[in-house]
Amino acid sequence: MTGSGYSYEHMFAFSTSRPRLSDDLVATLRPVTLAKSRMVPLSEPWASLTPGGGLRRGSTVVVHAQPGLGGLSVALSLLSEASDKGHWSAVVGVDDPGVVAMSDLGVDLRRVLFVPRPRGAWAEAAADLLDGVDLLIVRPPSRCAHGAARKLMDRVRERGTVLIALTEPAAPWPLPVDLSFHLTSSRWIMSSRLDARYVTLLVGGRGEAARRGEHVVMVPDRQGRAVAQ
Amino acid sequence: MERLLALWVEPLSEERPDGSTLRDYLRVLDVLGALCPFVEPIRLGLCTLPIRGPSRFFGGDEAVFAAVRQSVCDVLGLEVFLGVAEGLFCAELAARQEVVLSVGQTTAFRRSQPLAALGHKELATTGRRLGLYTVGDFADLKSASVAERFSATVRVLHRVARGELAELPGQRDTRLAARLRSARGEDVVGDEQVGFFGQRSAGDDRAQAAAHRVRHRLGPEGVLVARLRGGRVPEDRASLAPWGSPSREVRDDAPWPGRLVGPSPITSLHQPVALDLRDEHGEPVRMGARGSLSATPTSLVLLRGSRRGIVWFAGPWPLVERWWASGRRRAHLQVLLDSGEAMLLSAEGGRWWLVGIYD
Repeated sequence: MTGSGYSYEHMFAFSTSRPRLSDDLVATLRPVTLAKSRMVPLSEPWASLTPGGGLRRGSTVVVHAQPGLGGLSVALSLLSEASDKGHWSAVVGVDDPGVVAMSDLGVDLRRVLFVPRPRGAWAEAAADLLDGVDLLIVRPPSRCAHGAARKLMDRVRERGTVLIALTEPAAPWPLPVDLSFHLTSSRWIMSSRLDARYVTLLVGGRGEAARRGEHVVMVPDRQGRAVAQ
Repeated sequence: MERLLALWVEPLSEERPDGSTLRDYLRVLDVLGALCPFVEPIRLGLCTLPIRGPSRFFGGDEAVFAAVRQSVCDVLGLEVFLGVAEGLFCAELAARQEVVLSVGQTTAFRRSQPLAALGHKELATTGRRLGLYTVGDFADLKSASVAERFSATVRVLHRVARGELAELPGQRDTRLAARLRSARGEDVVGDEQVGFFGQRSAGDDRAQAAAHRVRHRLGPEGVLVARLRGGRVPEDRASLAPWGSPSREVRDDAPWPGRLVGPSPITSLHQPVALDLRDEHGEPVRMGARGSLSATPTSLVLLRGSRRGIVWFAGPWPLVERWWASGRRRAHLQVLLDSGEAMLLSAEGGRWWLVGIYD
């Protein structure tokens, strides 16, 4: 976090004329930031797959999957706990979101903004939304340029939002990210209809060790929810 | 200037003493509101809506006209004049003359109108003496010479004639909105979703501001919000409405016998895509009259031509709705492709449609 927007030392670095405060006073003035408030909450099964059981504000998450194999369900499912706790989220570039399925995943739809077809302006729309939401899902329409990704991630870090990029093998995210879910395979369970789907994901990322490695999650289950296996 | 569809309902333009005009006009607005959330009341007898969104939604201008005519005819039994042009001034003229102008034709249309169309009697008389017969003749006068000879009102009309202003002064009834509100017996607070969100927090305000910015960037249909309502299949239950459009809180607790059970597709196609189902001989698979398939589907062909193998399917589940009225018949089918993708298909009107993807 270079040039951190959060560091109070940094904010006051230029005001040298300010009289020195007693250390006691500084200690009482300094806001107590709980680790939790720097996290956007996740529900199970995702909480147990991520360091701290949530998504760190300012971080970027990639959900990477072959189209049609469950990437969208995984990405949208990450919104459920946060939306339930009053956080806003936005979904950019997902053409026809199945809002019934989202509601079954536990997403509170009253706090989700959809920008289904941003056309050429997806990055701009995403930047517009960053200031207003805590979680931002983007599905870039094509391979995201290095510069655009860099800019967006910087802005995310500065604003303390969480960016979730939904990508596919033909157009991977061009930069390393804090946390990644790679869907490696998926398998449906059928009876007289489609019942549920096992999705195998490879969890990775940099920095604090996530629960790296392969995990199997059922999404959707018979009730349309995401559950651990 | 935005292309507007204007509706001119002549019988509603004169206020009747019993107050029924306003009520009827309200009913027109309500029924149009169901087709498009951006209907704008202009004055009694006249309202407009942006044509671009509805046209895309209904599949062409003609389809919108048909829907609008039908709706107005259904509620009031009145005939309606429709016209499309850019800007309110031309849109009203187009409606009265029943003309539909495509992009770029508005200027020529405006210039060809008689000078009297600007609604200023003295100007029309004076103009005739000066040899100005059409709006175009008047528009060609230099602004400076108009300013020299005419009043401020006429200078404004001159700008309208030149296409610099979209509407005539007084074309809109400024008191209409308040009258409509009191006729509805409600006091609407702005158009933002105050009632929708209940109590607002700082986070809500931030999100609203962000939505505003995006709407400004992408247009009224750029930002959508989701609502759920009753229905048997996901594509009926879901509704995405432009953010900021009037919301009607819909409760979804009624039992819907025959509702599709199990998980719903996470992609629910707003405009279903037509496709073909084939059996192992490459013959089309159809829905039979008794709700069964004519053969076992083994592949799916999108009209773009790509062919995908089907490894498993379930259904069909027929759905006959409102058979006492129109009788809409549909049947749903789930298919699993050899690529591992699962899809929800619907048979309607003798064709197969892709309505959902379980991504």
